[in-house]
Amino acid sequence: MGHQYKAIQWNGNKIVYDLYLFAFVAIFIGVFMFVGLQTHASGHSADPVVLAIRALGTAAFSLLTIILAIGPLARMNKRFLTLLYNRRHLGVVTFLVASAHFGLALFWYHSSGPLNPFVSLFVSNPLYDSIPGFPFETLGFAAFLIMMAMAVTSHDFWLNNLSAPVWKALHMLVYPAYALLVMHIVLGALMTEKSMTYPIMTAATFVGVSSLHLIAGLREWGADSGMKQLKEKGWVDVCAPDDIAEKRAVITPLPKGDRVAIFRYDGKISAVTNACRHQNGPLGEGRVIDGCITCPWHGWQYRPDDGISPPPFTEKISTYNVRIEEGRVLLDPKPNKPGTRVEPALIPGAGVVS
Amino acid sequence: MSARKGVIDPAKTDTQDMFIGWAKAPVVDRRFLLGALPLGLIGAGGASWLVASELEDPGAGAWLTSATHKVTGALVNAPYPMLLVSDPAAPFGMRTVLIAAQGKCNSALKFADKEGLPVEASGVLIERKDRRMLEVPSFLDEWLTPVLIDMPGSVVMPDTVSLGPAHLAGTVMDSKCFFGVMRPGRGKTHKACASLCIRGGIPPSFWVRTKDGRESVLLMTDAQGGPIPMDILPLVADPVEAQGEIVRVGDMLQFRADANAYIRI
Ligand code: HEM
Ligand code: FES
Repeated sequence: MGHQYKAIQWNGNKIVYDLYLFAFVAIFIGVFMFVGLQTHASGHSADPVVLAIRALGTAAFSLLTIILAIGPLARMNKRFLTLLYNRRHLGVVTFLVASAHFGLALFWYHSSGPLNPFVSLFVSNPLYDSIPGFPFETLGFAAFLIMMAMAVTSHDFWLNNLSAPVWKALHMLVYPAYALLVMHIVLGALMTEKSMTYPIMTAATFVGVSSLHLIAGLREWGADSGMKQLKEKGWVDVCAPDDIAEKRAVITPLPKGDRVAIFRYDGKISAVTNACRHQNGPLGEGRVIDGCITCPWHGWQYRPDDGISPPPFTEKISTYNVRIEEGRVLLDPKPNKPGTRVEPALIPGAGVVS
Repeated sequence: MSARKGVIDPAKTDTQDMFIGWAKAPVVDRRFLLGALPLGLIGAGGASWLVASELEDPGAGAWLTSATHKVTGALVNAPYPMLLVSDPAAPFGMRTVLIAAQGKCNSALKFADKEGLPVEASGVLIERKDRRMLEVPSFLDEWLTPVLIDMPGSVVMPDTVSLGPAHLAGTVMDSKCFFGVMRPGRGKTHKACASLCIRGGIPPSFWVRTKDGRESVLLMTDAQGGPIPMDILPLVADPVEAQGEIVRVGDMLQFRADANAYIRI
């Protein structure tokens, strides 16, 4: 099993996750249709297809909002890691719900007319030069294309073949996609519906997601900025060995912007990059379990001394040279090639186990 | 001197067991999920209930798909396909039933050679208050049967009575969706669909409402009473006003104004 994308397989937690996700979508759409199909006080009743288009769009947008909230929430509270773990399935389900919304809108509003439905989507409302009149469907379509690219490449196979930076860049497009969808709603549903509930809810979700990212980002930025003064070359004085909890790490930023996780375990100190080979999970927030550094996101493991995953896996991360001098942990800021073995620094008086 | 500036110690704030996807979840995480998951489902139901219950009234109108409806009357092509049905009980002794093809392409309906012919047409009735439309398949022999019985009044084209010039403000609707196929079939979210229907030859209606809630639905034609040209398309579904002439043809009010007379408000 040399391929890293096989490293994660089905397990009980994933099945529970997916069943729950299914229940979530079913309840959302079920309640929407049930409430929406009630005859109005006027005696008028809504068209089930129009309602289904709305239910699916609203469900997809809600799921995307949740996806975007989980990241910063997990950085602030570790319990949310349980939701982050299988976020990729959440992403794929969101894409499927959005596809149903798109398909039904295309069928109901644009098909069996004098134009090809895909042409009609772009020309039936020609007010591209107006803001309130703008064809909001095109914004939804642009977001849909991004979501499709992300869903198609969500498997680790693609992470492997596209290279991590390309994959990561692709998945950062979720933020422009979210902005496009907010505008899809503002220039579509909000221009049609009169109830103040919609602008309030849309604004609340948008402000909520943005401020979660801002808060989580500010915390890390605060930590990084302290390091900006550190310009001098040579080894970096990080902390005392006792500042690191057993089987845990501290994370130190380096002047170049990299982050290093320095682990203490069994009387030894080892340093590796903070970025997991899988999806850049924060290794320094993980644990040493069964002698291996274990990523908090999806549980990938690496040996502390050489940064290589235990057999049968072969993934490698960069290691850093460490020393202990005069009761201080010193770190060489130059990374070693991924998989380079570094002799762990022994903590004096700790009595090395094993 | 302890740790250097910028060093983060995750162990300070996060002392619990760690959740690892492939392992059994620690007790703290189980307890968290036990509370969070039901809360999530309640939140999902609550949010979708809120959104669905605040939607605008879908509007009057019905699409009676569960039954086939038969209409006997005289076929008329201009300005739009319609049946003129004699009905002594109705105001002015007749009813106009517009004809629409299935889908959004009325131009597929071809019966110019049957102008004025008495027929029995069968299709699905679309009904909004006193406005009616019959939705029929494109192939004539699937819905049209010429009838030979004498139908006084039905073959006689009603007079066109001018009710004078008028300046009206309202919305251009595609009669098919507006009369009941899509509820709600109005507003910006329905603009593209409405414009596509009108492009396909579905007759446009001008929906005029007064402040006190009274409304009038007028069939739109150009200034000469012919079908309105496609220049109207960008204005569909938006609030507009126009100077034109109101005429009555049988029981149906029509608004005669050229497409360039319409101005977005
Ligand atoms: C792919 C192209 C898309 C098209 C053509 C499209 C089209 C539409 C249309 C026509 C409506 C108005 C529905 C109505 O009121 O009758 C709508 C509403 C909406 N769409 Fe989309 N959409 C697309 C993509 C998306 C995506 C990807 C999402 C979210 C992930 C989304 C979320 C929504 C939401 C939340 C609404 C408001 C629902 C409501 O009226 O309550 N749309 N969309
Ligand atoms: S295991 Fe997925 S990011 Fe580390």
